[in-house]
Amino acid sequence: MNLRRFLAEAVTLVGLAIACALVSNAFAGKERQLPIPGSYQNATKVSPRADASPLPAFIAEQPSAVPAASDRAPTGVPQAIPAAGVAAAPRPAPTAPASAAAASTRPPEPKPVPAAELLARFPVHGQPYVEIPGDAAAWLHARGALFLDARRTKDFAQGHVGGARSFPVWEAALVKERVEGLVAEGRDQSLPVVLYCSGGECEDSHMLAQTLFGAGFENLLVYRDGFPDWMKQGGTVGSGATE
Amino acid sequence: MTVRDMLTHPWLTVRTQIALGLFFVVAALPKIADPPSFAHMIYNYRLLPGQLVNVSALVMPWAELLMGLALICGIWRRAAATLVGALLVVFIIAISVNLLRGNAIDCGCFDVAAAGRSVAERLHDMRMIIVRDVGMLLLVAQGLLGADRAEGGGAL
Repeated sequence: MNLRRFLAEAVTLVGLAIACALVSNAFAGKERQLPIPGSYQNATKVSPRADASPLPAFIAEQPSAVPAASDRAPTGVPQAIPAAGVAAAPRPAPTAPASAAAASTRPPEPKPVPAAELLARFPVHGQPYVEIPGDAAAWLHARGALFLDARRTKDFAQGHVGGARSFPVWEAALVKERVEGLVAEGRDQSLPVVLYCSGGECEDSHMLAQTLFGAGFENLLVYRDGFPDWMKQGGTVGSGATE
Repeated sequence: MTVRDMLTHPWLTVRTQIALGLFFVVAALPKIADPPSFAHMIYNYRLLPGQLVNVSALVMPWAELLMGLALICGIWRRAAATLVGALLVVFIIAISVNLLRGNAIDCGCFDVAAAGRSVAERLHDMRMIIVRDVGMLLLVAQGLLGADRAEGGGAL
C-alpha cells in the first residue's frame, strides 16, 4: 500500500465533501440554509426535560399563575409555573382595563389584546421563558395573545395553532428575518408571547425563546406540551404556509 | 481454498463494497436534501459544541455520498473504505455514549424526520443500530483485507 497515495485520496475525498457542503449551503434556499458556525446553547448538555414533572393545570378563574420575578430564582434559569402559584396565590378580581401605554403600542390584531388582563395573569418575568400548560395557552389564545410556532415550515403548513406565526428556529436565515420583522412591528415587548413546538422533548420553542429574549422580548411563555396537546384539547387549528 | 481465501475473494470484496457504497449513498441523500433536520439530529446527540453542529450537518452527508460513490465506482476504494470505517466508529461511539447516559435519540441515519417513537423504542433502536454498524464495520474490514490480498492483483 502506498501510504502517500492513500493519504492524498483520503484528504481529497474529505476536501471535496467540504467544498460540496459549502457550495450547496451557499446556494440553498432560506429554509435549507445553515449558518456557519452554528450557535446552539446547551449543545452538549443532556436535557433533563424527559423526567420533568407535569405542569399544573391552569385555572382561569384563579390568580396569576406566574409569580413575580422577585419570587423566582435569580439565576435566570427558566422555570415551569409552580403548582403553589396556581393553587394558592391570592388574586384581585380582574378589573383593570388595558393601559393607554400598552394599547398605543399594540399592533393590529383580529381582536384587541386586553393588555392589562394579560399582564395581570402573566406579568413580565425577566427570564428567557416560563413554561405554561395547555389551559393557560388556551386562555391566552382566547384573548388574542401572539402565538409563535417554532417547528419547521413544512410542519407549520400541515397544521398549527390558529392565528400562530411561523418562526422555524432550525431555519436560521428565515427565523432571523422574522425576528427582525417582529421587533420592527414595535410590539409591546412586555406582553405575553406564547411559543410552542411539538411538545414532549421538543426544545425548539425554548431555543426560539432564547433568541427572542435576546431581541428584547420580556414575557415569553413556552407552551410545553405544544401542538399535539393543542390538537388533543380541540383548539383552533390553522393550515397553510402562512397565517 | 481456506476460509480466509474465501472471505477475501475478489468476487465477494467487490460486491461487499458496492453494497456498502449503496448503503452510504442512500443514507446521505435525505440529509443533503434537508440540512436543518440533520443538524437537529446531530444537536440531539448532545456531543458536539454548538459551533460544530451545522458544519457537521453540512459536511458529513457529502462525505458519506462521495465515499459511497467511490466504493460503488471502484475509485480510491481503500481510502473510501477506511473513511467509511472511521465514520462508523464515530457513529458507534456517539450512539453508545447516549445509550449510557439514557438520552434516547432518533439515529438520523436514513431519515432525518423525528419518528415520534417512545423512549423505550428509541433506546431499543439505538442498540440495534450499534449491532448494525458493527456488522458494517466487518464489511469494511472485509474490503480492506480483500484489498491487501488483491494488492497488485486488481480487486481494489
